[in-house]
Amino acid sequence: MTETGTRPAEAAARPVPKPAARRAGALAARVAGVLGKRVLMLVVLLALVFAAIELLPGDAATATAERGEGAAGVAARRRLLGLDRPVWERFWDWITALPAGDLGTSARGERVGDLLAAPLPNTVLLGSTAFVLTVLGALALGTWAAARPKGLVDRTVDLASTAAFALPEFVVAVGLLLVLSLWTGWLPAATVTGADGTPAGWTTLVMPVLALTVPQTGWNTRIVRGALADQAATPHVEAARLDGLSTRQVLLRHALPGAWPAIATGVATSTGMLLGGTVVVETLFNYPGIGTVLAGAVADRDTPVIAAVVACSAALITVVLLLADLVRARTLGARS
Amino acid sequence: MDFSRRQLLAAGGGLGAAALLSACGGDGTAPAAGGSPRQGGTLRIGALGRPSAITRDPHGTQGNESDYLVIALVYDTLTAPGDKDNTVGRLASAFTPSKDLKTWRFTVAEGAAFHDGTPVTADDVVWSLRRLRATPSGAARLPGVTAGHITADGKRTVVLVSDYPNAELPLLTRLTTFVLKKDTADRDLPKAPGTGPFTLDWYRDGNARLLRNADWHGGAVHLDAVEVTMFQSPQAMANAMLSGQIDVASNVGAVAARTAKARQDIRIVRRPDDMAMPIVMRTSSGPFADPKVREAMKLLVDREAMVAQVLSGYGTVANDVLGTGDPAYAADLPQRTRDLAGARRLLTEAGFDFSRTYRLVTTEDVAGLAESATLFASQAREAGVRIEVVKQESGAFYQQTWLKGDFYTNYWGTNDSVVFFASKTLTTGAGQNEADWSDTAFDAACRKVMATADRTARTAALRDLQRIEHERSGYLLWGMADGIDLAAPKVHGLPKLPGYGRVQLENVWLAP
Repeated sequence: MTETGTRPAEAAARPVPKPAARRAGALAARVAGVLGKRVLMLVVLLALVFAAIELLPGDAATATAERGEGAAGVAARRRLLGLDRPVWERFWDWITALPAGDLGTSARGERVGDLLAAPLPNTVLLGSTAFVLTVLGALALGTWAAARPKGLVDRTVDLASTAAFALPEFVVAVGLLLVLSLWTGWLPAATVTGADGTPAGWTTLVMPVLALTVPQTGWNTRIVRGALADQAATPHVEAARLDGLSTRQVLLRHALPGAWPAIATGVATSTGMLLGGTVVVETLFNYPGIGTVLAGAVADRDTPVIAAVVACSAALITVVLLLADLVRARTLGARS
Repeated sequence: MDFSRRQLLAAGGGLGAAALLSACGGDGTAPAAGGSPRQGGTLRIGALGRPSAITRDPHGTQGNESDYLVIALVYDTLTAPGDKDNTVGRLASAFTPSKDLKTWRFTVAEGAAFHDGTPVTADDVVWSLRRLRATPSGAARLPGVTAGHITADGKRTVVLVSDYPNAELPLLTRLTTFVLKKDTADRDLPKAPGTGPFTLDWYRDGNARLLRNADWHGGAVHLDAVEVTMFQSPQAMANAMLSGQIDVASNVGAVAARTAKARQDIRIVRRPDDMAMPIVMRTSSGPFADPKVREAMKLLVDREAMVAQVLSGYGTVANDVLGTGDPAYAADLPQRTRDLAGARRLLTEAGFDFSRTYRLVTTEDVAGLAESATLFASQAREAGVRIEVVKQESGAFYQQTWLKGDFYTNYWGTNDSVVFFASKTLTTGAGQNEADWSDTAFDAACRKVMATADRTARTAALRDLQRIEHERSGYLLWGMADGIDLAAPKVHGLPKLPGYGRVQLENVWLAP
């Protein structure tokens, strides 16, 4: 496991590792260790998903049966879907097939992989755009506010970011819909897709992205601002200021680097919130992503589909969290 | 709000396909107001659907309205819902019964051909009907007609033999008998050519584009193309309509109609008798077994208030007879109105236990259903009857309550045939006898209707049947919800019939 990620050239040099190679090896080991833990957590999470769906009233057999199908028909359906077997057995079958890329079969007989093939890239597009905008927005607003503590900008950003964070995506989305679409007619209210299954035109992305970005920018602006305030109190930033460097230089060259770990952790946790928000936002804007698939799958008690969506989202979140850890490790490592 | 498409389609469902019968209405003729039809243009139409329920099989269970719409534009059924007659020919140009009403002969329309140019033969139809019959709900979709009793007679005649006399057989072939080429393999279904007014250009994840079939056997098709967009929620569809992204929002519901009311540039299309939401009272046992108690319930409901509040006024008051859209519906039966004193008197006579609380089970499968239960409960309280509304999850409802409970709400999307309900839900031992009702006089009346070919005699028998149903069945039908579409003013010739009649777009045309 520890060798994952070590390049052949470095491996060859192992007998007497050079410092750089040793560092790379240690990093790889750490990454592997973290990944291993995350994978274990994901397995536990998926087990919980299976168990939770078991607790919901009704099951996939009744949810997807035709009305009027008799008890015998529903029982036959239950056998067909394997629902007559204990939940742990179904979970084991599903999770052991997962490494081979087999996400199982939905309650309606579709391969789950096919079900997610088109929506997943759409959600990734939506989520990553919102993520990038969130990071940029939060950094810009946070540093702007930190430039003059207690100034007008600082106070305004403080108030606005708190308000934005307090707003659920649903409220933001409805507000955007009213203002940008129904009143002014500037943007299309719903997503219409073309023959290739992707949204027809970038304008349909604007409102879903904004609805996700606004609350998360609020949250992350506060983190950036807070981290910069902490840094401002450290001796080296103090020294830089006393040296007569410009505010801009102090902030960008001295305070911000030290603030990276906190900021990286903050935006990384936003990934989960962003993906969670897509369920609401995609439904409101008719955006063809996995959020809508998930909503339908929960209604159908379609465990393999729900678990597959959770697995995909969790994998994405894991990658982002790992990157955040690396940023932290790098920053802290450089300091030590 | 999850406007359950699954149940809507299946609504007829129990009966299977029959449910689908929901008065589809091909408003086959009228060019409608607004001048003469103009050729050309692309209609952008929105329909409800969920990605998890997508299906392409014309004989499958179409849980999504969007899928059903696409299928109905590409493929033809043997018959279709109509305006004056509730059954009109579509792929079949004629259908005639034998004297005993058991054998029905359907003639394939002159010039009917698949989109690849191959003429439709009786063999194609027989193969398609047998395929339909072999599906899990096949027995309900073609009741009384087994696969062996579907045969071809020559190139253009299909013979269906029913196990019992059935004057309504063509009604059952309206919404599900899509015809494909003989021996179409399952994997070829998504691209299988149909015979319908439109050919498939592309289909992707619930959305589709269709092109005019210039050679359609049914006459000239006006639109160049139809673009179908699937919407997960009525709200998103209404917003797309308000912002001009689509020209028609199909079956979008009363809430959207209220929103759109203020807009001059959006037309609200009301299709009466779209959905029934009756309250079912068990007649064979339990507190409602006494006809007097059932009569009292029917008297204590305030029907006008139900329509105004539950349906936002987009509906009509009903009179406890199902099948309100039937041309032979007995509108002359005395309309029940609210009579609290009368209700109380009847309940006292019947020894009704006023100290008990009665559980009324409902679901949130369609908009307004749970609200109807709640409002009815509060109206009942005014007569001293205590009702507690219990909401059940859809799957649990169909497992535990439907056909079994004492007191529950339900809904039906096929409302243009009195006989449809009579034969499926009201006769003794019928598969979906929701109130477990058994009435000798009613059974006799139903048999008589089914076996009578003469129109006048049949109408008289139908009236008799409705009189009995009105008097003592287990159904409290307080009102009928309108089907509601939103349309841009340039769209003309939209179907006006309830239920799945809304999918027939061959007469639609766009003003410049």
